[in-house]
Amino acid sequence: MHAQSQKNSQLLMLVAKISQYYQSYAYQLAVVSRFFAAIVGGYLFTSVFTALMSITLPLKKSDAVLLSISLTIFIYSCVFIWVFAVKSLKTIWITILLTSSACGLSIALLKGWL
Amino acid sequence: MKDSFFRSMTWMHTWVGLLVCWLLYLIFFAGTVSFFRDEITLWSKPALHDAHVPQERIGLQHQQIIAGVEYLKTVAPESNRWGIYLPSEREPWLIYAYEKPRPEGKRFGGWNDYYINPETGAPIQQPRETKGGNFFYRLHFDLHYIDVRTARWIVCFASLFMLVALISGVVIHKRIFKDMFSFRKNKGSRSWLDGHNVSSVLALPFHIMITYTGLITLIFMLFPYPAMTAYDNGVRGLFNDVLPTNVRTQSSAESAPLVAVETVLDQVYTNWPNADITQFAIRDPNTASATITVRAATGTQVRDQTPTLLFNGVDGSLMAKTRDELSATEVFYDSLTALHTGRLANPLLRWLYFLCGVAGCVMIATGCIMWAKRIRERMKKDQVPSFGLKLVEGLNLATLMGLPVATSAFFIANRLLPITTAERADKEILVFFVTWLAVALFALFKRAKQQWIMLAWVNCIACISISLVNALTTNGNLISYVLNSQWALFSFDLMCLISAVLFIVQAKKLRTQLHAPTAPFRANRAGKSNLREQNT
Repeated sequence: MHAQSQKNSQLLMLVAKISQYYQSYAYQLAVVSRFFAAIVGGYLFTSVFTALMSITLPLKKSDAVLLSISLTIFIYSCVFIWVFAVKSLKTIWITILLTSSACGLSIALLKGWL
Repeated sequence: MKDSFFRSMTWMHTWVGLLVCWLLYLIFFAGTVSFFRDEITLWSKPALHDAHVPQERIGLQHQQIIAGVEYLKTVAPESNRWGIYLPSEREPWLIYAYEKPRPEGKRFGGWNDYYINPETGAPIQQPRETKGGNFFYRLHFDLHYIDVRTARWIVCFASLFMLVALISGVVIHKRIFKDMFSFRKNKGSRSWLDGHNVSSVLALPFHIMITYTGLITLIFMLFPYPAMTAYDNGVRGLFNDVLPTNVRTQSSAESAPLVAVETVLDQVYTNWPNADITQFAIRDPNTASATITVRAATGTQVRDQTPTLLFNGVDGSLMAKTRDELSATEVFYDSLTALHTGRLANPLLRWLYFLCGVAGCVMIATGCIMWAKRIRERMKKDQVPSFGLKLVEGLNLATLMGLPVATSAFFIANRLLPITTAERADKEILVFFVTWLAVALFALFKRAKQQWIMLAWVNCIACISISLVNALTTNGNLISYVLNSQWALFSFDLMCLISAVLFIVQAKKLRTQLHAPTAPFRANRAGKSNLREQNT
């Protein structure tokens, strides 16, 4: 019985160790994923959003493009910071993907690609 | 990420900053130096030191252009491009240039420059082959030895991180005005934090402006999508729309005589009665597709787009001209670029740009030193430093101290390399990188305070030797520059000496710290951690 309890505690320790490893790993994974969301997600959103802006702004064509181009960096950095401010990664990804595809769809409709 | 917005921003600021701080230091350093690009180029070419702005600078331009075209007609009738660069306040010499024959598969053969005394029209002694200030200008966004496009993406990426770090830095900074005036000396990492804050906050508008506008200068590579959506042929379509002179005629092999320069110049002066022409360029001269581009100076306007006239090179008719009035958005976009390049700056404003750039370098340097200091302070006495800490400390030493040494080496090489060296300009750059590599190898093995002191002395000696070597190899020196009022050269020498003094101060400062290892703050910190251990 004594031997068994020792075995149990060993097993428990192993489980604890694995979960500990997983936790530290999960943290790193979360960090990488957040940076990925900020850089790639932010880039994706900014691209489609400013592209939509360039064809919807009620200005002359060249003015609309130049204005949206001037604002790209502002929008990108806002998204970047927002990604790090929001707690849930899921919320972030869903928001980015939904808004980006909405913008993309609007562009496709406006340009008559569909 | 972390539980509160404030803490998550602090976390992000630290890591986003640390990841790219060394590259950012390089970019900021090179960019700051580039504000004096023309002055550095002048310093690098002693043959031009005696040039001074002609009295009738604008009045002479008409004659200079005519003489230039005559010269190019006889010297390089076969060349694809001719250029006449007229003297300006910052670059008071006249250059007749033509493109060298293009090597197989290349789109451009490089310029062959011919320097002329603008007052007499006689050739002067041709300057040595060097990149001068243009090396730092290119290093600022093209890096070196790697593909230009890749380099620009890397620089964009680092700049984006910089912008994000700046914004989050403001967020985590609760007492932004109080910290502007507080600097606590000799308090370990606390002092570094204060240094970081002071240099960031004082020049914060500049930092944000320069990072934002820096990204804007590369925006067509980073975000071509708005232009691609609005125009069928993308960025090219936008350029054709915004810049009427951005017309590229198809090159033709059919030969045709060049129009009389007088015809073109008459139209130039009708369009711009008081024109300060900077450049008179001819593409495909002596062919049916010849075009002539005339550019004028923007002066001190916040405007980057130069006023341009485009002429047909055969019949002399005006093909296109830049609009005099820009729309509000164009002004907005154009001023962003103009603010970054600072070409508009008068000498005083240029020095302000420079000082703000230095503040940026200090901000980045103190930031990365502070990170290493913090970790060191938190370490227990017998703890072995981690690989990450050693890496950061090594990179700090190699970058922060190595880059100034390499820069000094570049300038000394400019004076000491024999004039006849083959590919001389590239050799100078090689000296720059080899020196930097040597410092990096040095930092790889040892990076304690002792090595910082040693490199501070190396830097100091290097800075002094720049003016010394300059005085020995050219016929000018600090005193003669004052007597002849050659202020650009004087400032260069003075900057070298000021940097040398600063490096002495740094070395002294580090040495006193070395002899007094228990700064009050550090003792305090250690006491606290001991208490904590006892409690647990």
